[in-house]
Amino acid sequence: MTTPSPFDHERDPVLGEALRQALDPGGPDAFVARVSAAAGFGQPVYWDVLAGWARPGIAAAVAAAMAAGFLVGRIVSGPPSLDEALVPSEAMVLESQGPPDAGVVFAVFDR
Amino acid sequence: MSERGEGAGRVDDAQLAVRAAGGDRDAFGRLVERWAPQARRVARAVLHDPDDADDAAQDGFLSALLKLERYDPGRPFGPWLMRIVANAATDRRRRRAVRRAEPLDSRLPGGSRPDTAAEQRVLGERLRAALAELPERQRLAVALFDGEGYSHADVAAILGIPEGTARSDVFNARRRLRVLLEDWREPR
Repeated sequence: MTTPSPFDHERDPVLGEALRQALDPGGPDAFVARVSAAAGFGQPVYWDVLAGWARPGIAAAVAAAMAAGFLVGRIVSGPPSLDEALVPSEAMVLESQGPPDAGVVFAVFDR
Repeated sequence: MSERGEGAGRVDDAQLAVRAAGGDRDAFGRLVERWAPQARRVARAVLHDPDDADDAAQDGFLSALLKLERYDPGRPFGPWLMRIVANAATDRRRRRAVRRAEPLDSRLPGGSRPDTAAEQRVLGERLRAALAELPERQRLAVALFDGEGYSHADVAAILGIPEGTARSDVFNARRRLRVLLEDWREPR
């Protein structure tokens, strides 16, 4: 290290080299990979693959949900049992003021 | 100029920066490769812990990536980036409680010129300990001027201070380092 001067415009090469060595953390490749990953550039394969899967995946999920909804709807709203079907007809016949309508009585058997 | 981000003579930094600002991953990766050593050293001049320094250098690169559209390609890339890195390191140092350096004498074994790897390591430890004794701005000033080869004007721009102050900081840092490392002999 040379004697410093406030008017010195020249760099001290010995001090400069010592500073670079003292401050050099080493392992540059790992650092570059780390920064690239943090910037979102380090794992393009994963993200590209996921992005490629996104639209077909969403479309498949929507189709599956629609199919499942259709099936569930069919099961829930299936044909009524004979007892359920007869109850309103019986009530209609018993509560009616006029003569029973054969069409109403036999309507359930037409199903 | 001793070393400017190891970038002289290759694809222009400004071109890479413009491409990176447009979303070119490869261009940003090349800028990181090119400037990482210097950015890490500058960050370490502020933060003693190498892991903290790397975190700060990474913060600096990511911040620079976000600000690339504001970079003027007509100006040197190094000072622009180093200012961001230095600010990132300073911010990180302020956010964290930095471990106080031990008394210098307990960490600075006497020594002569380092001829071996072990002696180089000892010199590195001594120099880092000596740098820790300096005010932060002086540390950065001497690391940028003597270590990285920037001019006083560049150092002033990076640190956001007048050039005369940068010159004074470099001088005071050198003088203090001489005192702290006075038993170290230069090669003849």
